[in-house]
Amino acid sequence: MTDCGCEKAKAELEEYLHNELRKEDAFDIREHLEHCTDCSTEHNVGRTLTEVMQRACKETAPEDLRDQVLLRLRTIQSAH
Amino acid sequence: MPASMLMERTHAVPDGVDGLELPVMTTDTTDMRDLFEAQAMPFIDQLYAAAMRMTRNPSDAQDLVQETFVKAFASFKQFEQGTNLKAWLYRILTNTFINTYRKKQREPYQGTIDDLEDWQLGGAESTTATSSRSAEAEAIDHLPDSAVKDALQSIPEDFRLAVYFADVEGFSYQEIAEIMKTPIGTVMSRLHRGRRLLRELLAGYALERGLGTGQAASSKKTPGSKAK
Repeated sequence: MTDCGCEKAKAELEEYLHNELRKEDAFDIREHLEHCTDCSTEHNVGRTLTEVMQRACKETAPEDLRDQVLLRLRTIQSAH
Repeated sequence: MPASMLMERTHAVPDGVDGLELPVMTTDTTDMRDLFEAQAMPFIDQLYAAAMRMTRNPSDAQDLVQETFVKAFASFKQFEQGTNLKAWLYRILTNTFINTYRKKQREPYQGTIDDLEDWQLGGAESTTATSSRSAEAEAIDHLPDSAVKDALQSIPEDFRLAVYFADVEGFSYQEIAEIMKTPIGTVMSRLHRGRRLLRELLAGYALERGLGTGQAASSKKTPGSKAK
C-alpha cells in the first residue's frame, strides 16, 4: 500500500455522510475512518454540521395554517 | 352517506351542462380529496419548515405552503401512487417558491454562483490541524439554533436549498437533482460549497461566542483563497 487512503476518504466523506456511496466504497471509508484519526475527526465535523441543522430547522406548522389548507382544499372541490 | 357529498351534488348540478356527468366527477373528487388529505397533510410540518428556510418569514412561508397544497391537489391525479410523495410535494414547493417568491427577493449573484470554480471558494479544511477540528465539532454542536438558522439564511439560496434537502430532509442526490431541476453534479457541488460556507460561518460564530478553544475558527481563516 502506497498511501494511507486519506485522499480517497477526504474526497468521498461527504457522499459517505449522505449515504451516496456504493456499498463497497462505503465499507472502505468506514474502515479507513476506524484507523485514521485525522479523517474521523473531519468526518465528525461533517456529521455535527448535519446534526445541528436538523436540530435547528425543526418547525411545527401553525394550527391556523392546517385549517386554512383544509378549507382551501374543500373550497376548490365545491368550485368544480 | 356524508352530508357534504350531497351538498356538492346540489352545488355542482346547476353549473353543469351535462347533469349526468358532474355528480360522478364530484364523488370522484371527494375520494381524491380524502386520499390527498390522508397522504399529503402529514407532510405539512416539514413543508412549513422548508418554506421557512426558503422565504425567511412565517407569513410568506404560510402562503407558500398553502399554495403548494392547492397546486399539489390540483395535479394529484398525475401523481403516481407508490412513488415518492414527499419528493413530489417538495418539487411543487420549490417550483412555487422559485416562480413566485424568488422574484421578490432575488439575490444579486443568482445564476453565477455555480460558475465559480471550487478553488475560488477556498479550501480551508485540509490546512486545519486535527486537534482544532475536534474542538470545532464541539463548538459547532453547542451553538444555539438561532445561530445555525442565521448561518443557513446567509448562504446563497441554491446552496442553502441543496444543503437543506440533503442534510435536513435526507433526500438523495438524485431526488435533489429532480427537485431543483439540475444535473446531479451541480447538486454535489452546491452541497459541497454550501456546507463549506456554513462550516466557516458556524466556526466563526462559535469563536465570537467564546465557544470551543478559539483555534477552531481562527485557524480556518484563509483569506486570499476566496478572492483569487
